[in-house]
Amino acid sequence: MRLSFPYMGPTIVYAKLFELLGHDVVMPPKPDKEIIDLGVKYSPEFACFPFKVITGIYLKLMDKNLDALVTSGGHGPCRAGYYGEVHKKILQDLGHEVEIIVIDSPHDDYKYFYEVIKRLKGDSSWLQVGRVIKIVYELTKALDEIEKKIEILRAYNDKGTINKLWMQAQEDFYQIKNTAEIKEIKNKYLNKLIKFEDSIPVEAERYKIGIIGEIYVVMEESINNQIEEKVNRFGFEVERSQYLTNWIRENAFPFLDRDLEKIEKKGEEFIEIGIGGHAQGNIGHAINFKEEGFDGIIHLKPFGCLPELVSQSVMDDLSEKYEIPVLTISIDEQTADANVLTRVEAFLDMIREKNYREVM
Amino acid sequence: MNNLYLGVDIGSVSINIVAIDEENELVFKLYTRNSGNPIELVKEGLAKLREEIELENYKISGVGVTGSGRQLIAYVLGADTVKNEITAHARASTYYHPEAGTIFEIGGQDSKLIIVEDGIAVDFAMNTVCAAGTGSFLDHQAERLGVPIEEFGGLALEADRDVRIAGRCTVFAESDMISKQQYGFTKPEIINGLSEALVRNYMNNLVRNRVLEGEYIFQGGVAANIGIKAAFEEEIGAEVIVPEHHDVMGAIGIAMLAKRDVKRSGQESSFRGFDLTEQEFETTSFECEDCANNCEVIKVIADSKVIAVTGDRCGKWTASLIGDSAANANVEGSSEKEEKTAAKSSKKQDEDLNKNSEELEANLYKVDLEKEKQVMKELEELEKSDENKKEDNSLV
Repeated sequence: MRLSFPYMGPTIVYAKLFELLGHDVVMPPKPDKEIIDLGVKYSPEFACFPFKVITGIYLKLMDKNLDALVTSGGHGPCRAGYYGEVHKKILQDLGHEVEIIVIDSPHDDYKYFYEVIKRLKGDSSWLQVGRVIKIVYELTKALDEIEKKIEILRAYNDKGTINKLWMQAQEDFYQIKNTAEIKEIKNKYLNKLIKFEDSIPVEAERYKIGIIGEIYVVMEESINNQIEEKVNRFGFEVERSQYLTNWIRENAFPFLDRDLEKIEKKGEEFIEIGIGGHAQGNIGHAINFKEEGFDGIIHLKPFGCLPELVSQSVMDDLSEKYEIPVLTISIDEQTADANVLTRVEAFLDMIREKNYREVM
Repeated sequence: MNNLYLGVDIGSVSINIVAIDEENELVFKLYTRNSGNPIELVKEGLAKLREEIELENYKISGVGVTGSGRQLIAYVLGADTVKNEITAHARASTYYHPEAGTIFEIGGQDSKLIIVEDGIAVDFAMNTVCAAGTGSFLDHQAERLGVPIEEFGGLALEADRDVRIAGRCTVFAESDMISKQQYGFTKPEIINGLSEALVRNYMNNLVRNRVLEGEYIFQGGVAANIGIKAAFEEEIGAEVIVPEHHDVMGAIGIAMLAKRDVKRSGQESSFRGFDLTEQEFETTSFECEDCANNCEVIKVIADSKVIAVTGDRCGKWTASLIGDSAANANVEGSSEKEEKTAAKSSKKQDEDLNKNSEELEANLYKVDLEKEKQVMKELEELEKSDENKKEDNSLV
């Protein structure tokens, strides 16, 4: 099948997955102003921001003769569960016939999940599928491991140099064929990063910020105003609540230990029931970040996102009880870079000032 | 020769320039409306500063820039400190009022709430949606009612009756205002209603469920409006203090921060000197198409010489500014050497890394082996059943 998918985070992972399964993969374009404008124009006005971005990406792909678009589903009362159907309708109304294959979590419906995988596996045997998934999972882990290092080192080194290494790493990873090569490339870049590690100060002088929120705006730097780089710029390390490995663990692999659930369960203290999206999990992650000694939380909320609106409303209580500052930023196509920068900078200044008083 | 520290606040509505001395005393103060050309206004401001004070007695030892237009002006001036307006406002406020607990700051296009404990900002909020609750909102309504903004606040105090005006959005407020005028409410009453709407908005959007504590400081351009001050006092039931230099607090704060930074680093100020008032500045931008990031790269040019390049994420264009090819070559040469020595030890490192990352993996990404086996078995069975089905089909 000739297929594509929405752009989110390290796209090489999905591309590799479908490529190894023998599909003809069209790389989706990275969201930019044009795509976002396109998406906003053809999406319902009240839809949440990630929906609009994805509409834009799909429309941009329409001249590529695709057989299908593969995307993930959502569960609970979050609107992400309807994305597939609504996108299909929008594309149809605009005269584009394309199938949208939605991968829902196997934990919701084991059978349906297998049906979908059966379609996607094409002519590959089930054992091959097992092997491919393993390679892709290894790849994701390697990428996430390097990215987590990048998110620390960029705080203490020239941002351009570190960014360049990260971009090169992603390019190199795209060429891999087996797990041995993944390891090789991973080590190559970890080695390159080692010489920067001397710049990390002693533990007491390190400041760490946890980024939580709706998965799409947390994972996709091109629509979240490169929030991680902004935080890094002021000498703060970052870590996200969402990495692709987490998503795969939750949504694609039935055999992985679901220890993330333990973190997410902590969220029940503030949001008792699952309300869709990652609201409950995010609260859990916020508490977990505090327990791991983080100094602050940045909460990203797409405009029009219901679950994150609920989690925003409990942030004040959480912040007070756990004594951790929280900054909520609402993101949509109207978000201006300067506004985000001002808020992030003031937030980080505040955290730093708390820890020392200078003589005037 | 006394040290002088410049503070420049490039706001959306006003541009403020101050100069403070070593004792934080205000030596120069300028508040001008931002008519849309910040570089020219800053140049004029500096020229005025040069006229008003005897520069022979002073040395510019530090420059700080804040406000939404801070990035560009920082390059133009050669600023030592570039910081957001929240930090700057908090700094000035807590200096003049060490007992401050809550700072209300309402400027042209944004409003802020800063919560202070023991002289340190511990929490803040900034308007998220739109102009409602900012100076622009009042400006617009004043114009609409034909009242100069300077008299706006005083008029509100003359109101006899209360009138509730919908203040969530500028446009809706306007239609509500027109309709209330039909009921025979006077101008002062309408203005009072608008002031209350602004404060109500501020309370709902920024303060939310926070507990506020005194002293209450009210600053920013809107603090000149005694109507709003009165509305705040009524809302919180306590006295609100408007500092003497409420309109330039951001500029004072950033000048103080510049002083601190220069002292801490012990370096000379990077101020580009008063000659810059004679220079022509220009900014250009282009989209770099080297990769999918499509960074918007901005160049700042002074008298046809590029003084700053910014916006690229990989550092390609920023590095081009350094332009000192010899220095670059040196860096590259040494890094090559490093790589060679690195290659020698890399094998051992690789082993260590493998070990390390395996441990990390084992801890981070636990795989339930039993479950994995079971799933693989299920997969095999599935495959078999698929094959059986195919055979069935062929029989049919």
